[in-house]
Amino acid sequence: MGEIEESVSAVEAVTLNALERTAMDSESPWRSSLQQLRRNRAAMIALGVLLFMVVVTLLAPLYAHDIAHDNPFASNLQGRIKIGNHYRSVMQANTQGLGLGVTPIGPTWDFSKYFLGADELGRDVFARMLYGGRVTLLIGFSSGLICIVVATVLGMLAGYFGRATDWIISRLLDIVWAFPIYLLAISLSVILVTSGLDLGIIHIGAGSLLLPILIIASVYVPYVARPVRGIVFSLKEREFIQAAIASGASDWHILRKEILPNVAPSVIVFFPLMVALNILTESALSILGIGVQPPQASWGTIINDGLQLLYTRPWVAIGPGVCIVITCVALNILGDGVRDAFDPRAKLRGSI
Amino acid sequence: MSRLKSMKRWGVILSSLAVCSFGIIAVSASSPAGASSGYQSKHAGGTLHLDATAAGGTLDPQVNYTLQYWQLYQATYDGLVSFQKVGGDPSFDVVPDLATAMPKVTNSGKTYTFTLRKGIKFSNGKAVTVADVLGTFQRLFKVSNPNAGSWYNDIVGGPACVTTPATCTLKGGVVVNAATNSVVFNLIAPDAEFLDQLAVPFGSILPANTPPKDQGDTPIPGTGAYAFTSYNPNSALIMKRNPYFKVWSAAAQPQGYPNEIEMTFGLPVESEVTAVENGQADWIFDPIPADRLSEISTKYASQVHVHTLTADWYAPMNVNIAPFNNLKARQAVNYALNKNSLVSLYGGKELAVPTCTILPPAFPGYLQYCAYNSNSSSTYAGPDIAKAKALVKASGTLGDKVAVVAQNDPVDESVGEYIEGVLNQIGYKASLKPLSQNIEFNYIQNTNNKVQISVTQWFQDYPAASDFLKVLLNCSGFHKGSDNSINISGLCDKAIDTQEATAETLELTNPTAANKLWGQIDKTIMTTEAPWVPLFNPKLVDFVGKRVGNYQFSLQFYMYVDQLWVK
Amino acid sequence: MLRFIAKRLASAILVMFTISVLVFLIFFATPGVNPASRIAGRTASPAVLRQVSKEFGLNRPLPIRYGLMMYHLFIKQDLTSYVNIGDRIIPQITAAAPITLSLIFGAVVIWLLVGISGGVIAAKNKGKFVDPLVMFFGIAAISIPVYWLGEMVSLVTQGGLHNSIFAWVPNGGYVSLTQNPWQWALHLFFPWLTLASLYAGIYARVLRGELINNMNEDYIRTARAKGLSERRILYRHALRCSLISIVSLFGLDVGVLVGGAALLTEVVFGLQGVGWLTYQGLQNLDLPLIMGCVMYGAFFVVLASAAVDVIYAYIDPRIRVVA
Repeated sequence: MGEIEESVSAVEAVTLNALERTAMDSESPWRSSLQQLRRNRAAMIALGVLLFMVVVTLLAPLYAHDIAHDNPFASNLQGRIKIGNHYRSVMQANTQGLGLGVTPIGPTWDFSKYFLGADELGRDVFARMLYGGRVTLLIGFSSGLICIVVATVLGMLAGYFGRATDWIISRLLDIVWAFPIYLLAISLSVILVTSGLDLGIIHIGAGSLLLPILIIASVYVPYVARPVRGIVFSLKEREFIQAAIASGASDWHILRKEILPNVAPSVIVFFPLMVALNILTESALSILGIGVQPPQASWGTIINDGLQLLYTRPWVAIGPGVCIVITCVALNILGDGVRDAFDPRAKLRGSI
Repeated sequence: MSRLKSMKRWGVILSSLAVCSFGIIAVSASSPAGASSGYQSKHAGGTLHLDATAAGGTLDPQVNYTLQYWQLYQATYDGLVSFQKVGGDPSFDVVPDLATAMPKVTNSGKTYTFTLRKGIKFSNGKAVTVADVLGTFQRLFKVSNPNAGSWYNDIVGGPACVTTPATCTLKGGVVVNAATNSVVFNLIAPDAEFLDQLAVPFGSILPANTPPKDQGDTPIPGTGAYAFTSYNPNSALIMKRNPYFKVWSAAAQPQGYPNEIEMTFGLPVESEVTAVENGQADWIFDPIPADRLSEISTKYASQVHVHTLTADWYAPMNVNIAPFNNLKARQAVNYALNKNSLVSLYGGKELAVPTCTILPPAFPGYLQYCAYNSNSSSTYAGPDIAKAKALVKASGTLGDKVAVVAQNDPVDESVGEYIEGVLNQIGYKASLKPLSQNIEFNYIQNTNNKVQISVTQWFQDYPAASDFLKVLLNCSGFHKGSDNSINISGLCDKAIDTQEATAETLELTNPTAANKLWGQIDKTIMTTEAPWVPLFNPKLVDFVGKRVGNYQFSLQFYMYVDQLWVK
Repeated sequence: MLRFIAKRLASAILVMFTISVLVFLIFFATPGVNPASRIAGRTASPAVLRQVSKEFGLNRPLPIRYGLMMYHLFIKQDLTSYVNIGDRIIPQITAAAPITLSLIFGAVVIWLLVGISGGVIAAKNKGKFVDPLVMFFGIAAISIPVYWLGEMVSLVTQGGLHNSIFAWVPNGGYVSLTQNPWQWALHLFFPWLTLASLYAGIYARVLRGELINNMNEDYIRTARAKGLSERRILYRHALRCSLISIVSLFGLDVGVLVGGAALLTEVVFGLQGVGWLTYQGLQNLDLPLIMGCVMYGAFFVVLASAAVDVIYAYIDPRIRVVA
């Protein structure tokens, strides 16, 4: 996960160039941007792939119930399935040599039963992968959304008010940036997994998905907030903002009516990339056992389960890994398209 | 005994060294006659390479409580007595080591008189004297030995040493006489397990001038055939021949074979297995990952040794909070879990044996019975879900929320997930709380955390029934609000405590009757209280290099590292 | 300028201080991690537990414990582990640093070579099929979870093919450069590739974007008007300007990687660098080791970003206001 986290930091330097960006014209830029995006074939194919992923994972219960006829969340250690004319155990005890070890059944390449084989508890990996995709995508999208909203608010406040507000927010971002997320995640997961967390109105139940979502969202706030802050800084110098300030408009009004519309395109550009990044982060956290908690599964946790079977049943780890790669490639291509359409001069460092 | 602390990479079957009971699945090529059957000098020499993913902590034998180093201490340190260094059953027997003979026990079991052997030297060249023996036992308290307050405080002067270690003298407790070379221990009360407690590495005799502080990564001179020469927990631990060692009793401290033994740390366990397959390493400490088991048990069968351990995997239930403060609820879980499935999670029936008892098979006091079974047999047959459901209903706990706490390494977590599924099946609303392996064990002990049911393991310290029954299920092991409350289910029953005390006293005079009583206590606890679900007894897989010969297994400390041939 | 540097350093120190306090507090707020229980051993009686607490100063108030830990880490530099008792933290980190540096060194060489040539090739061939092809590889490279890639590499090189075409691949671990340069490179070859793939993808993409933007700039048009060859314009002018942003990016990346951010690559391949050490500390919940590694890593993160800020402020004085 460090390999993801660290590479992001450079964005600050790169996006300093965004200072040079011109403010969006007041004529409706959205429609033309969307039109341009629609004309981008690669981006549309990527969008199609993403939608396909979403639909397929949403159909997971249907698949498990009507096609595979199994419960991918219940262990099946004594079960047997029929392949061709033979019955075979889902968990196959080694009968050769010293007879050590129990190996789950491998891929049957038959959608009606254990397409990708079983995991260490005898559960259908393919069905779990579909369910896991829901969790992964949910985490990716919602943490991406939370991250961007929080980062935009912080970046705008820091950039607009400057001085002490800016100083405090900037240092906060520095801290989040250099903070070891693993430690935070481990500690929070102990506290939350065991007892849940009560924050007045918000109650995060033990094992709730909100936990990984919030952790992942918070990690990348500086990544988005810093460029936003830079853009707002430069915007503030522009005539139309100065004019608004001079006319006595309230800060709230200026932020909402003048600044936000001009920041929005840059922020939107970040979104697909943040989702990809968050999906990668989720899988990295899962491998350290601090992401999604069982019985929930995500692609990351299924890979993690699969690593203990890597030498005998590699498909348990390969399957969800390939899903992650496909989804992130699609998100990145879509992200490039969104950038070209909304803010072609935005200098994001690649997808990360 | 402390379970091994190893860096757990993903993909490791966690856990589990411990002692074996002989012969149930002896794949081992060794004969139990083993170590004492004459030294074969043609096999001496070479360097033995051992691999471990992580170091085992402090090297101080009076502090370290890991199986990883207890195994190595066998070749480097000696107590006044020690477990006999032979393969198989007799390795549970205590023999004189630095003492000339077994002690004279007088004063109705309260006084032990030893005579120290003459002419033995530490690896720094200094002779071993009775002053060293006294210093060793004072130091035991000064370094806050884990069992200073639970084992060694029955030496006269011990309780004072526990409260103020700095001024510990053990006056009247350990009396030495340099002229006669005698060492006398006076106990507050008779203790049938005192010799066992002297024979484990905590009782290793160290130089009297060893600083009274945990020596950490600084090797302390010892009397064994080897001496630690360097230790860096991030790279390697190296043992070389002790230049001052001469065999005085092959049963207590035999001559070793390799000239040098080194344990290197840091490789991922998969790489370790490959290293042994390729002949780059001679043995790995860590459990073999699940996905390599079938490979090594077919292609490398001649290099694999499997032994049953005197250890338990068990699921303690908290008898003080709902729903498991209800006996019927606890019995229901005992009926419901399919131990054959659990065995399959651990690697199959060649790697673990389902159990219904607290004491492991072939352990002193073991009584075969199975209170919760699908039939009336005394060996485990299968679950009885119908009975379990009925009991849950009868207990009035149907629909209660239950959280299963388990470690988040692969096997523990799978076991936790399985238990969670079964609890849901019999009518609870179960959830799983997986915790980091370094937190879980202390977390489940603390009553403040209100843990209802958890998954954990226990490995013996020495072969005595009390090491399971009294340590784990006695009021003395129950401390509210503490992370160190080893009686995890919180069962505190005065009647059981009394029976345990009776059995301990009986051990002094009539060990056979005592063991019979321990077996009865085991059965009573399980039938009338059912504070645990005993899951299975794990087995240990040793995977050694092709060139390695003379594999010998001790029930107490496992494979004798120093007896392996690499030539 | 000096004032700017001083201010930047002061806030860097403040950030590190806050992080250390947070790490400390989070550690002691986590249930079940009380180091005394684990140091004392699994059967320790309450009296022994009290002794251990006292000996390790764990019965003292939190601020004093924090102060002592910082004193031992930074002033006396003799902070020792809670798990491997007596094992000093600082020598551990200094012993691990060369391994991390070796890993990063080779990865840097590969990612710069591949990333820069990829970016140039794509920009040069904009509009032809080569550009999207190169960029697709770039996108694929940044879409793969690094640890998963590492595990797949191990599966391929250590699994079924280990006895045939990959017999030359060493079985994890590290050999120092001074001990055997050939083995050093051999052991690090696949870790280098794994770590470099992500960055090669990033750099190729960034460079391509920069090049294409720069090729539209006025000074390039001027150069074209002067009749310079496209080749010369690309390499001598556009590439040069584009590399400036790559350099700042590079500074930050290397800073963070040296600080131990290649954790998963190190763990997957069994390289005992700083990331591996951090991982060990977290696995064992060994606060002194975690604290040492976090401070070491934060130092490089903060230093790198401060350095980049200062350099930029030097190049472009307007930024001093912003930063």
